[in-house]
Amino acid sequence: MVSQPPRDFRALIACIAQSQDRDAFVEVFNFYGPRIKALLVRSGTPPAAAEELAQEAMLTVWRKAAAYDPTRASVAAWIFTIARNLRSDALRRGSSALHAFDATFGTEAPAQPDAILSGAQDGACVRAAMRSLNPDQAQAIEMAFFQEQTHSQISHALGVPLGTVKARIRFGMMKLRAFVEREMRGQA
Amino acid sequence: MSARHHPSEERLLAFEAGTLSAPEAVVVATHLAMRPQTRAWTHLAQAVGGAVLDDLAPSALEDGALAAVLARLDSPDPEAGVAPPLPTADHSLPSPLRSFELGPWRWAGPGVHVRNVLGPRDGDCRVILLRIAPGKSAPRHTHVGVELTCVIEGAYATEDGVFEPGDFEEADPSVLHQPRVVSDTPCLCVAALDGQIVLPGRLGMLLAPFVRL
Repeated sequence: MVSQPPRDFRALIACIAQSQDRDAFVEVFNFYGPRIKALLVRSGTPPAAAEELAQEAMLTVWRKAAAYDPTRASVAAWIFTIARNLRSDALRRGSSALHAFDATFGTEAPAQPDAILSGAQDGACVRAAMRSLNPDQAQAIEMAFFQEQTHSQISHALGVPLGTVKARIRFGMMKLRAFVEREMRGQA
Repeated sequence: MSARHHPSEERLLAFEAGTLSAPEAVVVATHLAMRPQTRAWTHLAQAVGGAVLDDLAPSALEDGALAAVLARLDSPDPEAGVAPPLPTADHSLPSPLRSFELGPWRWAGPGVHVRNVLGPRDGDCRVILLRIAPGKSAPRHTHVGVELTCVIEGAYATEDGVFEPGDFEEADPSVLHQPRVVSDTPCLCVAALDGQIVLPGRLGMLLAPFVRL
């Protein structure tokens, strides 16, 4: 793929929220629509359903743009949670309403100055943190998070005990958090 | 400051991944609503999701997908309508619990009352509110399945320490569990239960026909 200049997705979402800017939406659609579909296919959704959910997710981006709070999350993380909620609904897990505060990232609670929040918005920092994990930890987190397998399913797939899967996820996530916090302190 | 009890990292990841059952997700969401500090952690999980989404090789949408979505942009948002009235919902509860109808309070032992949170169910797993009077204990019970608990008001103590509002407890199925209320006011908790609680002993045998916890 031809490399493109980095786009300011926060500005695009703001244009959608403030002036229902269709051109801005088309740009966001062209970048994220196919990636949402890829994510869903990778996590086991049949291609036809993934197509439908990706379109639905982009429609939600349009409708909820005003609820996006750039001080709390990257656009990518926000769109990720939208896709995750729709998939959860489609599977009738019925928990998407509980994630409702994700869409606004908890505007009912005051924003907190938090190294994790600011660090987590920096995609490069998060990627570097992921690379710092050992392969077992990264694999367990990937399977839990991106293939949406339960921990029991991961345990079965990898042929390791459930406790081992949980420990890999736990220590992997703690390591990620420590990495991001360290990076943020370094910059301060 | 007392030790804070929060969901394990792997359970928070499962919540973020959407793989928890609805009843478990209700209890985790209650904790997150009461403890914004824990959200710093879930935001990190979401950020990891965002970074991976950005880096994925795109999977082309069908021809006409953009046109189809553009054609729907002006259609009304079905979710934007007025929420249906929930006569038995309790708006004093933490926000994740406000959207559910509630069953009546039922007696479940000396000083103990339970009511069902209607809706979130997954097989035998369901959500209840548990209200226990000061100084009283929940009926002694063993866990058939995982029990997740989040304290809403008051406090209780177990072998693992004191649990205060916002604290989250993940019960070990192998442990005989008997929390005792240590606050001056009743302790209100939300819990996800899998299967029936077994009440051991003679009292349990006597209560079993009546108490369906």
